[in-house]
Amino acid sequence: MTKAARAVADGLFVTDGEVAVLLGARCDGCGSVYFPRPLSCRNPACHDKRLTAVELPGEGTLISYTVQRYRPPPLFRMDDWAPYAIGLVSLGDGIEVMGMLSGFELDHIAIGSPVRVISAPLYTDDAEAPVHTYQFAPAAGQ
Amino acid sequence: MSGEVLVAGVGAHPWGKWPDKPQLALALHAIDAALGDAGLGWPDVGALVAASSRFEGGMGWGLHANEVAQAVAEQPMACINVGGACAAGVIAFHTAANLIASGECEVAIAFGAERMPKGFIPRPPGGADNITDSDYLRWVAMGATNPAYWAIEAMRRRAEHGTTDETLARAAQLMRRQAADNPLARFRDPLTIEQVLASPMVADPLHLLEICPVSDGAAAVVLCSPQVARRTGARTARIAGSAIGSGAFGDPARRIPSIASTVTGGTIHTSEVMSAARIALDRAGLSPADVDVLEMADNSAWHLLAWPELLGLCEAGQADWLIDHDGFGRDGIAALNPSGGFLSFGEATTAQALLQICELVWQVRGDAGRRQVEGARVAMSAVLGLGANGGSVVLTA
Repeated sequence: MTKAARAVADGLFVTDGEVAVLLGARCDGCGSVYFPRPLSCRNPACHDKRLTAVELPGEGTLISYTVQRYRPPPLFRMDDWAPYAIGLVSLGDGIEVMGMLSGFELDHIAIGSPVRVISAPLYTDDAEAPVHTYQFAPAAGQ
Repeated sequence: MSGEVLVAGVGAHPWGKWPDKPQLALALHAIDAALGDAGLGWPDVGALVAASSRFEGGMGWGLHANEVAQAVAEQPMACINVGGACAAGVIAFHTAANLIASGECEVAIAFGAERMPKGFIPRPPGGADNITDSDYLRWVAMGATNPAYWAIEAMRRRAEHGTTDETLARAAQLMRRQAADNPLARFRDPLTIEQVLASPMVADPLHLLEICPVSDGAAAVVLCSPQVARRTGARTARIAGSAIGSGAFGDPARRIPSIASTVTGGTIHTSEVMSAARIALDRAGLSPADVDVLEMADNSAWHLLAWPELLGLCEAGQADWLIDHDGFGRDGIAALNPSGGFLSFGEATTAQALLQICELVWQVRGDAGRRQVEGARVAMSAVLGLGANGGSVVLTA
C-alpha cells in the first residue's frame, strides 16, 4: 500500500492531484501579497497589516533561472539526485517565487516561458511516505 | 556622527585555511597589528566591538569581544558584540565610530575573526523547522545554495544587458590580477579567461572561479579621536561617512535565504547596501563620481558588474564595457577591489567588511605598495550581510 504523500513543509502549499496551490496572504490594508504566509505585512507605510489567507495563481512567467550542478548540503533531500534547475517565477501582483523547475531540458530553458505550479515527489522519507515539493512546469500546451 | 573620528591603525591576519589556529589566535594577530600600526596599547582602549555573529538572531559562532579581553587585556572596558552576518564587520566599525563621536571613549577597536566550515555555507543552528524560517524552506523545498541566488541574478542580467560568459570571467580575472600584489590574499595566481571558463559550472552561468570560496581570516581597525591622534602622531585616515542599512520594502533582489519576494516598483535593488552607501556618501558630502577606490562584496563575478552600477559609479548596463576595457583597474574610472576582493580572499564572514576597511586605509594613506591606486583620496566600502544587513564606509586622506 502506498502511503499518503506529504509536503516538505506544512502550510507552504496544498496539492490537488499533480497540481500544487501555493498558500499566500494578502494584506487587508495595502493589498501586498506574500508567500509563504508571514506573521505581518512588511510594508512600513501600511498601518492595518491584517492578513487574509489567499491561494496564489497556478500559472506564472519564468523571469530567471539557474541550474544547480552540485548537490546541496544534507538538509535538502532528493532521491536519485541529478543536476536540476531552479527558476524564479512571477505570479503577478508583485509576487516572485523561487522553485525547482520540472519538465524543462536543462540546456534549453527560456526566460519568459509560461509555467504552471505542480506538486512532485522529491524523496521517500524514513516512514516510506513520499515527500513532495512544489515545482514549476511548462504551462499546458507549451 | 557629531565629532570627527579617525582611523588610527589597521591590521589583518592573512586569509587562508588555518586549521591549527583558533579564532582567538587569528583575532589577536590582527588586533596586535592594528594597535602597533596606531602606536597605541591596550591601556588606551576604551571599547572593543566584535563582529561576533555570522547570522541574524544570534545563531552564529563568532568570537565575542569579552573573549578577546579576557585572553589578552583584563581591564575595564566596554565589550560589545554585534551581529549582521557578512556585514557584521561594518556594523562593528560604525558602532565603534559612534562611541568615539559621542565622547564615550577616545579609542575603540572593531574586529572580526572567523574560521569557516568547508563547502557551501549550510543553515545556521537554532532556527525552527517550519515555514517561519526561510533558511529552512530554501533547503527543504528546493535546495537553493547561495550561488544559486547569485546565478539567478546573473542569468537575469544576461537577458537584460547581454552580459557574456567572457565578461563574467574577465571580472574574476581582474580580482586575481590585483590579488597578485596582496600578501594577505589567499588566491594570488593569475588566471586566464580560459581557465575561468574551464572551471566547473556550479550554478549556471557561474563557474567555480567566479564564486567566492570560504576562508579563515581576521581583521581589526583601531579608531580614535583627533586628540589622541595629535598625541600619538599616527598617520590616520578620516572617516568622512559611515552608515549601516537594512532592506527596503519591495526590493527586487533575490535575497538569501528568502524563497519569494514582494516586489514593488521604485525600490532600489539590494537596498540594504545601496541605501547605506548613499547615506555614507551624503554624510561625507561626496558623490559616487568622487570615489577613487571601491572595496565591495564580490560574492560572485555578477556582483562586480551589478554593484558599481547600483552604487552610481556608472550607468546601468555600462559595467560590462568597463570590465571589458579595464575601466575598473587601477587606472580606471574607479579602482574596483584593489585588494583582490572576496574572489581572491574567500569569505571569512565577520572579518570581511573590516578587511575592506583595512584596504581603504592603506589606499588613502598611500601604503598599499604595488597595488597602490595613484592619487587615491576617497575610498569607499560596500558590503551585504545575510538577513538584509548592509553597510558602507567612506574614508578620505
